[in-house]
Amino acid sequence: MTAPDDRTTHECLIRATLDGDDEAFAELVRQTKGRVFGIAARFARNHHELDDICQNIFIRVYKNLSKFRGDAPFEHWISRIAVRTCYDALRKRRREPEKISMDHHFVDKDAENKTNRSVEEAAELLRFAMAKLPAEDQFVITLLELEEKSVREIAGLTGWSEGNVKVRAFRARNSLKKILETHHE
Amino acid sequence: MNDTHHQLDKLFVTARAVPTDTSRIEFGFETRLLARIRAIKEDEFPWLAVTRRLLPIFAAIVVALGTWHFAESGADDTDLYAAVTAHSDEALLYAALTGE
Repeated sequence: MTAPDDRTTHECLIRATLDGDDEAFAELVRQTKGRVFGIAARFARNHHELDDICQNIFIRVYKNLSKFRGDAPFEHWISRIAVRTCYDALRKRRREPEKISMDHHFVDKDAENKTNRSVEEAAELLRFAMAKLPAEDQFVITLLELEEKSVREIAGLTGWSEGNVKVRAFRARNSLKKILETHHE
Repeated sequence: MNDTHHQLDKLFVTARAVPTDTSRIEFGFETRLLARIRAIKEDEFPWLAVTRRLLPIFAAIVVALGTWHFAESGADDTDLYAAVTAHSDEALLYAALTGE
């Protein structure tokens, strides 16, 4: 939920940015980057990729800022751009050969020490299985199961119909199950 | 099959529970982003970069011209001969035009 004060601040910063004040945009980034990093971290494989995706998200925001009409909260608008940019990154990754290793350095080190080895192994197994899925399936599963978005929210974010989201999610889960079964054999 | 279904659900729960720490990448992010935006702008509008680089030269030329102009106009004010001849030129021209 966006507080009215935040909304006013965002509107002021957007207006200042459109008037050419880049420092106002930096402040807008400072206020919204937590949410953007949270979304992108689900899709990125390492620090380098996360930084790249987040920069692409905010560059898109910067270029399209004049199109923001203010009828929905700024966070919703920016989340939609973040999700679409992550989807583009997934599709691009499919087209490119594997260049970056899966290091996942942004896992909280303190928490990592607390979590036991089986949790790490489980997370690694899921990453391994997810990496084998097509970009669309990976995308829909991440939003549905890891970001815990509803089918309606995903439809709103992606522009796909709710039926399409459900079909893709069902197919993606089945593919994941098959991958896991094959892995166990 | 059902086992795999449960295993998958457990994997999702585990993955959701693993907290992420992005503070290292968030540090200095705005600075890197603004630098990249400036670079993009300069690629899109190369004349902006050229103008920015030439700005000190333009400023120096304007200052030099201004100084020269004030020096010249100051010299005119103190040059009595120039002032008198300018006035007589004007009088001669007036006489020629009016026929006096």
